Amino acid sequence: MNRPNMRRTHAIVIAIAAGSLVLTACGGDSNGGSKEKTKSDKDAAQQQAQIPLGDQAASTGPAVEVPGATPGGRIRVYQRDNFDHLDPAQIYVSDEGLLATLYTRQLTTYKTDDKGRKTLVGDLATDSGTVSDGGKTWKFTLKDGIKFEDGKPITSADIRHSIERMYAKFITDGPTYVQQWLSGAGTEYRKALPDGPYKGKHLPKTVLDTPDAKTVVFHFTSPQPDAPFALAMAAYGVVEKAKDTKEKYDTKPVSTGPYRIASFKAGKSMTLEKNPGWDPKTDPFRHQYVDGFDITFNHQTSDSTKRLIADNGEAQTALSFTNAVDPLQTKDVLSNAAAKKRTVIGYQPYVWQMNFNMDRITDKRIRDAITYAIPDVQLVRLNGGSYGGEIAGGLLAPTVPGYEKGYDPYGKIKKPNGDLAKAKELLKAAGKENMKLVYGYANTEVGQKEAVVIADALKKAGFNVQKKEIDSATWYSQMGKVKNGLDIYRTGWGQDWPSASTVIPPSYDGTQIQDGASNYSHINDEHVNAEIKRIGRITDIKQATKQWSKLHHYIVEKVNPAAPLFFTKQFQIYGSKIGGAQYSDTINYIDPTRLFVKK
Amino acid sequence: MLQFLLRRSIGAVVILILISAFTFFLFFSIPQDPALLACGKNCTPDAIKIIHQNLGLDKPVPVQYWNFMVGIFAGRDFAVGHCSAPCFGYSFANNQPVWNTIVDRFPTTLSLTVGGAFVFLLVGLGTGMLAAWKRGTAVDKTFSSVSLVLSSMQIYFLGPIVLGLLVYSTDILSSPKYVPFTENPGQWFVGLLIPWIVLSVIFTANYTRMSRSTMIEQLQEEHVRTAKAKGMSSRYVFFRYAWRGSLIPIVTIFGMDLGSLFGGAIITEQTFSLAGIGRLAVESVIKTDLPMIMGVMLFSAFMILLFNIIVDAAYAWIDPRVRLS
Repeated sequence: MNRPNMRRTHAIVIAIAAGSLVLTACGGDSNGGSKEKTKSDKDAAQQQAQIPLGDQAASTGPAVEVPGATPGGRIRVYQRDNFDHLDPAQIYVSDEGLLATLYTRQLTTYKTDDKGRKTLVGDLATDSGTVSDGGKTWKFTLKDGIKFEDGKPITSADIRHSIERMYAKFITDGPTYVQQWLSGAGTEYRKALPDGPYKGKHLPKTVLDTPDAKTVVFHFTSPQPDAPFALAMAAYGVVEKAKDTKEKYDTKPVSTGPYRIASFKAGKSMTLEKNPGWDPKTDPFRHQYVDGFDITFNHQTSDSTKRLIADNGEAQTALSFTNAVDPLQTKDVLSNAAAKKRTVIGYQPYVWQMNFNMDRITDKRIRDAITYAIPDVQLVRLNGGSYGGEIAGGLLAPTVPGYEKGYDPYGKIKKPNGDLAKAKELLKAAGKENMKLVYGYANTEVGQKEAVVIADALKKAGFNVQKKEIDSATWYSQMGKVKNGLDIYRTGWGQDWPSASTVIPPSYDGTQIQDGASNYSHINDEHVNAEIKRIGRITDIKQATKQWSKLHHYIVEKVNPAAPLFFTKQFQIYGSKIGGAQYSDTINYIDPTRLFVKK
Repeated sequence: MLQFLLRRSIGAVVILILISAFTFFLFFSIPQDPALLACGKNCTPDAIKIIHQNLGLDKPVPVQYWNFMVGIFAGRDFAVGHCSAPCFGYSFANNQPVWNTIVDRFPTTLSLTVGGAFVFLLVGLGTGMLAAWKRGTAVDKTFSSVSLVLSSMQIYFLGPIVLGLLVYSTDILSSPKYVPFTENPGQWFVGLLIPWIVLSVIFTANYTRMSRSTMIEQLQEEHVRTAKAKGMSSRYVFFRYAWRGSLIPIVTIFGMDLGSLFGGAIITEQTFSLAGIGRLAVESVIKTDLPMIMGVMLFSAFMILLFNIIVDAAYAWIDPRVRLS
């Protein structure tokens, strides 16, 4: 899944509570120069390209030097939100995923060359894995010289332990792909090892085998061509068996990456220092240029942006890992040549959509009418303008292989303010003029502003809109209830790795409708269900991408379970003495492993 | 005096117990399930059940409250380990015992409050007294009108202006941050200077106005007139007679201000990105981190009660008549 972090909205609530002056977010939308646009498109093209699997040569360290990089110095990091989880197995949201790239290593990872081309390579493993048994068996061999921060070598037993502990009850937040592929769908897999590996039980060799200290073999129940991609997620980072403190591991993990956590005060600060156990020769992707990172939390985007634009004192060697440029200050950045030079922008993997509750809105003409009525451009404006997002024509983000630029069956890009005439016509044809429509929205500042825009447009289109404000903190849990009592509601979704297989099945598989599942529209279309099953079995990734793309067309055009709203972009600024800053399409922020301090 | 303090302390404990019970039942009876917040993407009914067990939410509320109260004095055991006394619960949002987080955040709040209070008390009383001393003159009029303007200011308005002027555009001062006094007194001072100034500007105005008016009132009292009639120097009468008498309402307000500031200066901490008790309160409310909300509420209530008792004791010291009653 990789759901957009709802904590983004929390800050707005904080701002209201504290009465600070965070108001509209409408600045900057008309300033997207054509140069930036072209660059952004190019980045998207790279992001959506099919990522090849790397061999042993590609997986060997050290990483290619960043031009001009010099060792030494420390970097200041202004973060808004605390990192709620440090235990890799609990990591799903993108800011924690970014931090994990500094202290955790998995079997596989992504590396990017100087032209921005990505390859999936072996991280702890010597390559991206060897597949057999028609895609059901994946074998990984561990590299020599890989160690934990305490100097102990990483063995296959540690990898097995890391996977098996994800079956334990205290692991509630991380992804479940690998566990489900090994031991059963839904929460069924937990039954295979209810206490994890902590009471001496292990998964049978027929499921997860470690024939020697260097070899790990996964025996999945069905072919899984995406296995190396899933294993590159931060959640599948290795945990040292002897140092596993279970629940407590979440605040003090043992490092395998170039940095280790020297101190962590939840909600306040974190210090990272060099990990002496990390050997650059084993790592194809990470660097260890700076001596450490000094992170403090509670910096709203307005605060971090102001500091970084001003570029005074410590801010020169500072950045924020995840805070975007404050939408209200986008103009300040763009009009300041020196500041503008210190920015990066790239697509994030999220697509925002207006879900239709298909149990309640059964007539496609009504769903189409709503789709036509919504003025997407106004929503983009409320969410940071062209530096914060872009109107979506379909339901696959620009970062997903299979995305088609310009795909726009409902004319959302052509008519960004909506097509009320068409909406009225469809509603009339359906004989549902003045139909009651229960619209749920989050009680955040942006949510409330959006609600006004959307309700207004829908009223004009002929709907009798009943707005219902909902707590943003538990938004997804409430939307995830099958009987949520709403007709339309906005959700976001992003890929877990660059493949539509992590977007279409979780969002549109009708066999997965249950409380807590992410099929928020409750779409249950026989053709879609059958296709998801069929395409899931295709082991040729290129072929699968084509088929997913075809299915995407069917979903959007023939079913229309959700109106596409917008894709998100990340616009970041950094201090003048920070070197190596580059947007990473796999981390979705500036890649922290490349950073150095300019002398 | 001892009996007085004892009586007030017992009263305070009763109030704290009532607050804790009220808060606990209030928050645990809201329709929102805290397990939903701790439940990640795979939030199935089974996962919620597991979290309920982990958080102890599967037990009846009175039992949970009893465990909470016992924990404060005897410590408690959670799935994550032992939480030693005083255990105000375990925050599953932060993965930390509540008390440890409060203890960690308090030095920021303490530094902010003590420094700010020092400035606003000194400047506020000073200007107020001077205005009273020079009543009707240009000095009085200037101080009075300036304080009127400043008292209408808000931290979230003044803060960004001061930051813009002194930090972002001119680099005269560095961005506010908290460095422990024990670590580097110089950086502690520099880092908190702007929050102190802004905080004190807002408060100073009240103290100027208050001390001016009470001082003028005192100067018209009979005992002051008598002292003057006795031929004592006006300086002596001003400080020995009038000033002491004027302190009572100021001490009352100061005690209350200090108590609430120790409970967290939410807006100041937010404006200057400082992580104190105030921020903690806001964060925990937003996350519906019930154990943390309970802890912060009790801590803040304790601070307010503590300073009320101190104020009462100070009355007795300033005004002997209070001691008799």
